[in-house]
Amino acid sequence: MRIKKLFLPLTLVLVIAFSSCYYDNKETLYPVLSSACDTTAVTFSVTIAPILSNSCASCHSNATAASFGSNIKLEAYADVKANIVSLVGSIKQTGGYLPMPKNGGKINACSILSVDIWVRNGMLNN
Amino acid sequence: MRQLSAIFILLLLSTGMINAQGDLMDLINQDAPKEVNFTTATFKSTRIMNGHSIERMPAGQLDFRISHRFGTINSGAYNFFGLDQSNVHLSLEYGVFNWFMFGIGRGTYEKTFDGFTKFSILRQSSGARVMPVSVSFFTSVALKTLKAQNPDITNYYSSRLSYTSQILIGRKFNQSFSFQITPTFIHRNLVTTVLDPNDLWAMGAGGRVKLSKRISLNAEYYYLLKPSPDYMSQKVYDPLSIGVDIETGGHVFQLFFTNSLAMIEKGFITETTGRWLHGDIHFGFNISRVFMLKSDY
Repeated sequence: MRIKKLFLPLTLVLVIAFSSCYYDNKETLYPVLSSACDTTAVTFSVTIAPILSNSCASCHSNATAASFGSNIKLEAYADVKANIVSLVGSIKQTGGYLPMPKNGGKINACSILSVDIWVRNGMLNN
Repeated sequence: MRQLSAIFILLLLSTGMINAQGDLMDLINQDAPKEVNFTTATFKSTRIMNGHSIERMPAGQLDFRISHRFGTINSGAYNFFGLDQSNVHLSLEYGVFNWFMFGIGRGTYEKTFDGFTKFSILRQSSGARVMPVSVSFFTSVALKTLKAQNPDITNYYSSRLSYTSQILIGRKFNQSFSFQITPTFIHRNLVTTVLDPNDLWAMGAGGRVKLSKRISLNAEYYYLLKPSPDYMSQKVYDPLSIGVDIETGGHVFQLFFTNSLAMIEKGFITETTGRWLHGDIHFGFNISRVFMLKSDY
């Protein structure tokens, strides 16, 4: 009988003790980035657009997409947003999407992380 | 003559009394509330296929479960259609009260230990109290014990843990057909990338159709709500399982085909990489053996 009375509070204590939730991911928990990677103020105009123009624009700018980039444009905000799922998959090169940039190594980890953070923050046009 | 009449009167009186007693019994029956008829055996076992059903172990009964999922059928005859690659989950599950059970288990998949509790909140009933559905609450913790891939970095203990909560809502429509829906919440302490969600929601649906007294056809599906945009570092699909339950006395055998390899909620709901359409189908079985540890509780 005593055990029965103790049972419910005991369970509650156990449940609370076990419920230690963390919101970790390997990218931010184990940064392999240079200290220069700024992950706090990621914006489209300052962070994302330069990455795209440096690494993707030779085939995916408005002018070149039709001839070299399978008509996938990555210059205007709306175009980037529309292609974001395949863009993320391609630059991470984890399979399922064509690895990009073509015939070149992965873009640097800071750039990939920046794109991730921009997406997670809601893909704002800022 | 006098004696005879006396006996006759006595007889009359006694019959009258018997009658009166009958009337009293009727009165008692009228006043007493009607009985509540609880629905039993909505499912044959505490699992539909992979996922939990609303059923619990009764008080004092221990369920020893042996489950296997083999390799994919499309791995070919060389691998004996997957049977060469077996994946085991053993668990001990005990009913503390009729409304509460807990269990511990260990699975091959990511070398995971798991513990769960399941509470009964509502029981389907008819008669004096009508309740259309049975509702149970399920919660579990899974501890991945795979060795750290990279021992040079700080590997946190918390990173190994993930949690599952489910509300199991089931109804036995008639003797042969039962159906259950299962809203599910899963939290993973560590995920691979920023875009992989730590929290995931899923909706499960499962049911059984009895083919005979001892055999039933079961099916189960979980719809995983993918984040937007639906990029995840691992491409995952919704788990679908179809099979049969065979009941033989103290054993329940569950034989089925499924596209998931794991046998715990966090694994088969959020980490199923096989596709039925590609033939990534695993044969699997659960064997449940029930031991009565306390015969009259």
